Amino acid sequence: MEANGQVTTAGQLVKQRPRRQIRVKTWNRSTVVTRATLLILAGLTVYAFFSFDYKEIDFVQAMLATFANLKSMFLEPHLQRFTFGHALYQVLVTLGLAFLTTLFGAVIAVFFGLLAAENLSSKWVSSVVKGVVAFIRAVPTVLWVLIFAVAAGLGSVAAVIGMTFHSVSYLVKAYSESFEELDKGVIEALKASGAGWWQIIFQAVLPSSLTYMISWTFLRFEINFAVAVAMGAAAGAGGIGFDMFMASNFYLDIREIGAITYFILAVAILLEITAAKLKKRLT
Amino acid sequence: MTALLEVQSLSKQFLGSEGKALTDVNFSVSEGEFVSIIGPSGAGKSTLLRCINRMIDASSGEITFDDRNVTKLKKKELKMVRTKIGMIFQHYNLVDRLSVIENTLHGNLGKKSAIAGVLGLYSQEEKEQALRILSVLGLESLIYKRADQLSGGQKQRVGIARALIQNPRMLLCDEPIASLDPNSAKVIMDHLRDISTSMGITVLVNLHQVDVALKYSDKIIGINSGQVVFNGSPAAITKEDIQRIYGSEAEDLIFDLGGIHAS
Ligand SMILES: Nc1ncnc2c1ncn2[C@@H]1O[C@H](COP(=O)(O)OP(=O)(O)OP(=O)(O)O)[C@@H](O)[C@H]1O
Ligand SMILES: [Mg+2]
Repeated sequence: MEANGQVTTAGQLVKQRPRRQIRVKTWNRSTVVTRATLLILAGLTVYAFFSFDYKEIDFVQAMLATFANLKSMFLEPHLQRFTFGHALYQVLVTLGLAFLTTLFGAVIAVFFGLLAAENLSSKWVSSVVKGVVAFIRAVPTVLWVLIFAVAAGLGSVAAVIGMTFHSVSYLVKAYSESFEELDKGVIEALKASGAGWWQIIFQAVLPSSLTYMISWTFLRFEINFAVAVAMGAAAGAGGIGFDMFMASNFYLDIREIGAITYFILAVAILLEITAAKLKKRLT
Repeated sequence: MTALLEVQSLSKQFLGSEGKALTDVNFSVSEGEFVSIIGPSGAGKSTLLRCINRMIDASSGEITFDDRNVTKLKKKELKMVRTKIGMIFQHYNLVDRLSVIENTLHGNLGKKSAIAGVLGLYSQEEKEQALRILSVLGLESLIYKRADQLSGGQKQRVGIARALIQNPRMLLCDEPIASLDPNSAKVIMDHLRDISTSMGITVLVNLHQVDVALKYSDKIIGINSGQVVFNGSPAAITKEDIQRIYGSEAEDLIFDLGGIHAS
């Protein structure tokens, strides 16, 4: 009885409210800009599809052909021109390229990261290093490889230098930010006991930021693996990327591309799992 | 008793700020003395403490520690002087990811060569001394625990151990008990008092708790707006002195001088 009575009063309360639309978003500059951008992008997309030069391609037929290609690529992969062992070896070459460039990058980046951290160097030095590094980072890795290829010739040397270059800039930012996170009181405490700069770096700064540094470095390793595959194809740096390039552009063997893709995927997943395990053990 | 520390007409003006943080500060501290510096927030207590070991450079004035003019020292000599002065902080300032014993041994970095310090190579004697100090402070069962797993009171005791392993002549403590509960605070203050009495180490403490300062100190220095407004023994402090240190509102504060002097 009582419960029933309460239900009716609650219902009445709801009914008594005047029905009025309640707006959740208010119109201000940022919402206007966001919506206008989205609208323009949508409009451009539609226009683009109408204005493409389709060269009398039958859309449905093209789709079907693509699916057929994808099917033979991923469902009927095979290795024809080389063996499983060779593919594995080439993957290792690509991994080696990624590892080498990450290692070089990390070692150099620790030093510049210290200079870029505002709490460890001077404001002036820090701004200069950060500015230079931001510029290097803004140019994509592939472009750096091509730039160095002018001097070193297209090949593995240019790839190593270019990838290292970009890795340094990426890791300097990551490292310096984790250095800057260190409580300045800790640095003060060691300074007050007479410790020198290098001692403070190795006894307080690096131990405190080691986990961050390792996980950033590993992330860069994964990026470098992907880049190394592309470099094998685009810059002739060797490894599995080069085999993929040959299979697709030279032999036109779609099934082999599928097999190579699976190889790369397996390695990428393996890296991902290792990274997750590593992170768990470090904290 | 000779003066271990002498501060003469010390002034400090921070760059870009009008008004001085410290104005013509004079006092001296004898060997083995326990001195509390009290004063309202922003009075300049932390600034004063940091001028003594030159974590902050004074604008003018002289500081003499162990017969050396600290304000004129070169980098290397300054490091030597700093190894003789331990410092303790409100927020402990330990390296969280390292163990209790590693944090303790950090107090020795200033005396080591750069390479040995960088690599963290400590001699057997240094390690034994660290263990001795840690067991005096009741931390012998925690030596391999990471610093971030300790309670506030334990962290502060590690902070004290790190300062003591320096074999200091003097300890500078910037509000060492401000983040602790009353029991841990008492443990820390008892340790500091004991360090002063039994080891003959001079102790300078910034404090916010007047009752604690009165109970533990040989001498009280009261600071208001960067100036020393009281300098004397706890027994000599009067209600008017407290008012001069903390301003006229001090009447409303909870402390009862009569009760404190009696106990
Ligand atoms: N780095 C700095 N730059 C500019 N002004 C500063 C700096 N450090 C301190 N001050 C100023 O100097 C004055 C004294 O500060 P100080 O930290 O010494 O006070 P305090 O007595 O320790 O206060 P509290 O009890 O809150 O710790 C304050 O007015 C503060 O704003
Ligand atoms: Mg302070």
